[in-house]
Amino acid sequence: MEQEAAVDMTEAASSSRSLPPFLRSMGPAVLLLIVLALLPLAGLGPNNIRLLFVTLVWITASVAWNILGGFAGQVSFGFAVFYGLGAYTTAISYNAGMDRFFAILLGALVALLASLLVGLPTFRLKGPYFAIATIGVSEAVRVVMTNLEITGGASGYRIMEQGPFNQHLHYYIALSLAALAVATSMLVRYSKFGLALLSIREDEEAASDLGVNPFRSKLMAHALGAALTGAAGGAFVGYAAFIHPQGVFGFDISVAILLMPIIGGVGTVWGPVIGAVVYGLVHEELIASFPEFHLLLYGLLLILIILFEPGGVMGLVENSFRFVRARSSVGSHS
Amino acid sequence: MNTVDFLNLLVSAFLLAGVYAAMSVGMTIIYGVMKIVNLAHAGFLMLGAYFVFELYSRFHIDPLVGVLLAFPAFYFIGIALHWLMIRRIPKSDQPTLSSLLLLFGLWLVLQNLGYLIWGNSDRAILTPRTFSTLQFGPIIFPTVRLVVFGAAVFSLGALEFVLHRTWFGRAVRVLMQNSDAGRIVGVNVDRTARIAFGVGIAFAGTAGGMLAMMYSFTPDFGGSFLLRAFVIIVLGGLESFSGVAIGAVILAVVETFSILVIPSGYQPAIAFSLLVVALVVLPDGVAGLWNKRQRWT
Repeated sequence: MEQEAAVDMTEAASSSRSLPPFLRSMGPAVLLLIVLALLPLAGLGPNNIRLLFVTLVWITASVAWNILGGFAGQVSFGFAVFYGLGAYTTAISYNAGMDRFFAILLGALVALLASLLVGLPTFRLKGPYFAIATIGVSEAVRVVMTNLEITGGASGYRIMEQGPFNQHLHYYIALSLAALAVATSMLVRYSKFGLALLSIREDEEAASDLGVNPFRSKLMAHALGAALTGAAGGAFVGYAAFIHPQGVFGFDISVAILLMPIIGGVGTVWGPVIGAVVYGLVHEELIASFPEFHLLLYGLLLILIILFEPGGVMGLVENSFRFVRARSSVGSHS
Repeated sequence: MNTVDFLNLLVSAFLLAGVYAAMSVGMTIIYGVMKIVNLAHAGFLMLGAYFVFELYSRFHIDPLVGVLLAFPAFYFIGIALHWLMIRRIPKSDQPTLSSLLLLFGLWLVLQNLGYLIWGNSDRAILTPRTFSTLQFGPIIFPTVRLVVFGAAVFSLGALEFVLHRTWFGRAVRVLMQNSDAGRIVGVNVDRTARIAFGVGIAFAGTAGGMLAMMYSFTPDFGGSFLLRAFVIIVLGGLESFSGVAIGAVILAVVETFSILVIPSGYQPAIAFSLLVVALVVLPDGVAGLWNKRQRWT
């Protein structure tokens, strides 16, 4: 990882000469966005659009987790809290007659405020306190939500759709949200703020010696991730129309949100997107065929990735490129 | 509330604190030596519970003997896991992304293996001891609590003896304070870490067995106790054995007395609130407060 940071530095230095890396990586992103925007018009079936919609929501959450977990190296086991808070807030304010857009925005805002509640006491301290607290907070919030009367407690909450159900509308909401998340992640990655986060990940003490404020940077990364995840929850609830605490605050949501960036490649811009696509495509099949032990498989996957390919899919691709290049260069020398 | 009720609650709080300390000390030893937060602790608590349960229901081995047997069994599981996984991840003097995620993955695997093997129905270990009570004057409590308390205190005493009277114990304490200095004076860091991990897992399994004598359990059993163990070791300052004892007493007292005012559905939220309070007020734990006092005087 330390080597990677060194590469990042040279990358940032060379960027001033040629095109900024941010703009260079924009090309494929814009192309992808256009293709995804045109897909529903190409006569895709409702079930496929639903699958794409869910994957886009997952992409948003996965990219959001990566801003804190991947760039700043702070593992959170509790992103379901933000997802759930976003979903509930959006549902309640939409039912109260608020515009859909502002309802989702409010969901993001509530998630952001919740992130400060966890971040303020823990980020000041060095050590594992944050990771520990996130397990606690997700447990505590689920308990409270299961017992809370106003939201229907464990039996869940229903959102009243005003007007006819329009699948394409929800698809485009999720698409713009995912695009926003990826753009945010790119902006962070290639900005000074992103470099500060990377330096915190590598060595927090060295970072603060260089003038980075670890507390504020971590807090901001957490808030950014939480707001995006909250918005993802808000987008989801508009489509799902019904939510319950076990569903949106569930332990497996937290597991999913942290697993996706790890599958794809933690700490990269596109890794979390790839991970979310893989997860989105595989998850429903897995749930259908192994309802009992999909979490067992996810745990195994997590262990195998950490032990053998901590870079995820991105790392695997990079390593195989390097392998091919090394072999071809050996061939040319002999 | 009258004095008798108060005394009853106080006694049951202290009896609970013994088990809580035994349950948390395994995390402290692993964190102290290796700076790894053992998230899989919950999984081993659960396995310990089922280990004792299976021994009792299949071979009619008394749960107390089962708890005793759990120690060596889980010690070897811990050693095997260390050899298989833990030694392969990068070492650091801070908890790393990879160690957190690896042990989290292990927790998921253990918990869902539990579901696969035992299903999700409630199990309980019922012995004649379970329903008998002891009476000291006006104070009444279940015998099993006293037995479990005795077992917990015995195991903690044995650990205390090992830590202060053996070379392994000295090595553990050196690594907790300063691993570089430990290496310089000739501590075999890898070997000490391996044994410490084994002992940590052994304590988790044993404590799981003890908890199983008191409560009914499912494969999800460890989760809420994991949170409690976190609260206890954070209150204790993460790396202090006497801190664990103090943290256990604090949590047990708060939990026991909070039943009077807070609905039981919100119980897990109590542990978490205590965690936040501890982080804000006493980031170095109770032991840190003690150290600060010593420095001032």
